[in-house]
Amino acid sequence: MTSLCTLTAKDFKSDLKPIWCPGCGDFGVVQAIYRALAAIGRPPHQIAFVSGIGCSSRIPGYTTAYGFNSVHGRALPIAQGIKIANPELLVLAAGGDGDGFSIGGGHVPHAIRRNVDLAYIVMDNQIYGLTKGQLSPTSPRGLRTVSSAFGSLENPVNPLSYVLAYGAPFVAQGTPADLPALAAVIEQAIRYPGFAFVNVQSPCVTYGEEEQQIKAHKARMKPLESLGHDPSDLVNAFRLAQDYGTELYTGVLYRNPDPSPTLDSLMRERQQKMSEGALPRERILELFAQS
Amino acid sequence: MRDLVIGMAGSGGDGIVSAGESLIAACAAEGYHALMTKSFGSQIRGGESSCRVRLGVAPVLNPGGALDVAVALNWDDFLKFGSELPVAGNTVVVYDSATGIAPDALPLEGIDPAAVFAVPIGEMARKSAGTEKAKNTVVLGLLAGWFGIARDGILRGIRKKLAKKGPEVLAANERAFQSGIDYAAAHPLDSPRTIDRPGQATKKLIVDGNDICAAAAIFSGCDFFGGYPITPSTEVMQLLGRELWKYGGAVLQAEDEIAGIGSALGASFAGKKAMTATSGPGMSLKTEILGLASIAELPLVLVDVQRGGPSTGMPTKSEQGDLFQAVFSANGDVIRPVLAPTCVADTFAVTVEAFNLAERYQTPVVVLSDQEIAQRKEVIDPIDTSRFTIVERVRPRGAELEPYVRFRQTESGVSPLSHPGMKGGNYLAAGIEHNERGEPTAGGAAHAKMTEKRFRKFAPLKTREDLFRIEGDPNARLALVSWGSTAGVCREALRLARADGLSVKLLVPWLLYPVADGVYRSFFASVKGGLVVEQSYQGQLYRLLKMFTDVPAGVQPLCRAGANPFRPTEIAAALRDIALSLQRQAGDARQPQE
Repeated sequence: MTSLCTLTAKDFKSDLKPIWCPGCGDFGVVQAIYRALAAIGRPPHQIAFVSGIGCSSRIPGYTTAYGFNSVHGRALPIAQGIKIANPELLVLAAGGDGDGFSIGGGHVPHAIRRNVDLAYIVMDNQIYGLTKGQLSPTSPRGLRTVSSAFGSLENPVNPLSYVLAYGAPFVAQGTPADLPALAAVIEQAIRYPGFAFVNVQSPCVTYGEEEQQIKAHKARMKPLESLGHDPSDLVNAFRLAQDYGTELYTGVLYRNPDPSPTLDSLMRERQQKMSEGALPRERILELFAQS
Repeated sequence: MRDLVIGMAGSGGDGIVSAGESLIAACAAEGYHALMTKSFGSQIRGGESSCRVRLGVAPVLNPGGALDVAVALNWDDFLKFGSELPVAGNTVVVYDSATGIAPDALPLEGIDPAAVFAVPIGEMARKSAGTEKAKNTVVLGLLAGWFGIARDGILRGIRKKLAKKGPEVLAANERAFQSGIDYAAAHPLDSPRTIDRPGQATKKLIVDGNDICAAAAIFSGCDFFGGYPITPSTEVMQLLGRELWKYGGAVLQAEDEIAGIGSALGASFAGKKAMTATSGPGMSLKTEILGLASIAELPLVLVDVQRGGPSTGMPTKSEQGDLFQAVFSANGDVIRPVLAPTCVADTFAVTVEAFNLAERYQTPVVVLSDQEIAQRKEVIDPIDTSRFTIVERVRPRGAELEPYVRFRQTESGVSPLSHPGMKGGNYLAAGIEHNERGEPTAGGAAHAKMTEKRFRKFAPLKTREDLFRIEGDPNARLALVSWGSTAGVCREALRLARADGLSVKLLVPWLLYPVADGVYRSFFASVKGGLVVEQSYQGQLYRLLKMFTDVPAGVQPLCRAGANPFRPTEIAAALRDIALSLQRQAGDARQPQE
């Protein structure tokens, strides 16, 4: 779909003032989303942006798209319902690591296997910020927080291998420390025909660890491109995903070059195929008529 | 006879339920009304199965009381159904003589049935059809022979059903059917019990509550269903899964109950009419998003087919225990409409109304069906769908989009609702409290205004007298109130009581919540005594009414746990007791005090 007037990042920025702490990584993420959406050029009213609950889940309100800041962990079911109901829409889902991999973790595999055409952006900061600094599902083992005074005894979830294992056809990672690259992977994710996942290492300035801050990211990050990684190489993508927590790779980790059809397109095909010869809605009770 | 109640039980493979289905199909073809309930053991396959069929020349209101005819292919299976298949002194008992039990030694303690026939059902099936599989066809022949039920209709049904299986199978079953008829002719009942012929045979529908609920959704313009399999509501999803695509709609079998309602709410946000269906435990899981629909003011229809609870409870048995859950679940201070159908035909109207209310008030609406209605098949008259109107949500137009204020404070409390794709309608839907523009707020004043708006919009609903059915003597001092499947029992009880000379009336709400105070007040104005009848231990409707309206002191709950359906005669008897005590009180009042 082409748009007649050119849209800029500003067209996607709403008047709402973010509640985020100064220096929060999510400021960079929303900037990257504005840029990606401007590059894609779909007007805001054709975009539905769904989130759950958490600091990062406030993000739809900071865009001019139709937003749905729903309840904790349920962005994906709602986003899928929207896309199925109206496949013409560009559908984005976003939230934090707790929203996506703890309370809402059960929805991720199913969104993946259905391959609904949407982009899912997780702002992963390894901590619960909104509730003031508890362990999150991606917190490293040993992390001391207000809810783990003696250090976490649990292994973290690895979001990258999690989604790869369930067959996500597009998996990328980014950091606001490299805004152009982040905007680029988000744009690619949105353009990808199917379920596309972007894990953004988005620093929590208030409760996050030193090595998770922008400055540290700048020093640590390794563009996958520079490592010579071929995004169609699933085996190497799995291998690299194992480094989650130690290495900060950025860019496209996996991109299935031959994706299966999206659920929304398959449903549309079925609707078209079955529309002929249906009883009009007002005669539906004839289904039960005795001959 | 105008009415006949037949109960049959056998092992899973005996085809008892299939015989019941053939019977009601034949009855429908001949113009009878009928109602069939099925009951199974808890096994997935095999085990015991039973069905109750009640036929009548007039519409059948409930499964009835004691059986007129009991058919036992074996006694072990029959007895497992206990109070579901009650044998009494007026029952004709038919059983397979191969059970080896003597007619005077039936395992029916303290009951002396009107007639007992030990019939070699299995042997007749083997001889006539070459297989015991035809036992159910022999039974149909016996029923047709003894009770004059739809002989030609059954035969036509057998032919239609077995046409695919080839001429040999068909001929064998025709012989089995005839052998039953011949047996009945050779062993007539002492006092004949032939059911009256129905009036002019008109075209009938055969349908259960779940299927008609799904059909009502399609009629109402539903375009999306998201749900998760759960007994006894799954058939709603299954029918839509076959039909909804034809209308450009979609069905998503979600990964869990939460995703079921979540996807439906997403579809509603996207501008489509959407529904989810579940039963008690699934309702528990869905409640958070029910609250989200309330605060985001999005239309949504949630069907809760009640079963025995709490928790897993009794998935295949009926109970009216989810009223409090439907009314009060989900956190926060908000109301949502709760409607309940009372029979299969009602389920259509109530579901259409649910979609209309959801759209009109931008709210989730709960349809509180129950297992009994949802899974019983009824033969009903066709429904004239032209008398229903279909309501669409108010969408913003023209100046309302410049700029668009999603939660604008209007006089009615209902604000025009846009949807993604609509230019200029962009807004933020949220579970977070918001101001008129949809911007998140934690301010007390804004919250007070929005809360008031979310209540105010339902004010007209409380004056909807058309969502109540009132029958009987308008000025009666004696009253019944009942809802859901139990209401059908009360309608018959009302007739019995009035035939018995009592002046009594009945109120049946389709709208359970918000409580329409005015409707109850005017109904109760003449009432001195009566009963609120429902299948829940604590009498949830009675307690809800006590909370939101004035219930006369003489009106008391008649309630008990589920899976123990009320019988019309017991309610009529309870009414008689109350009438007597009212008379005594009136008499006492006239006596001069000593």
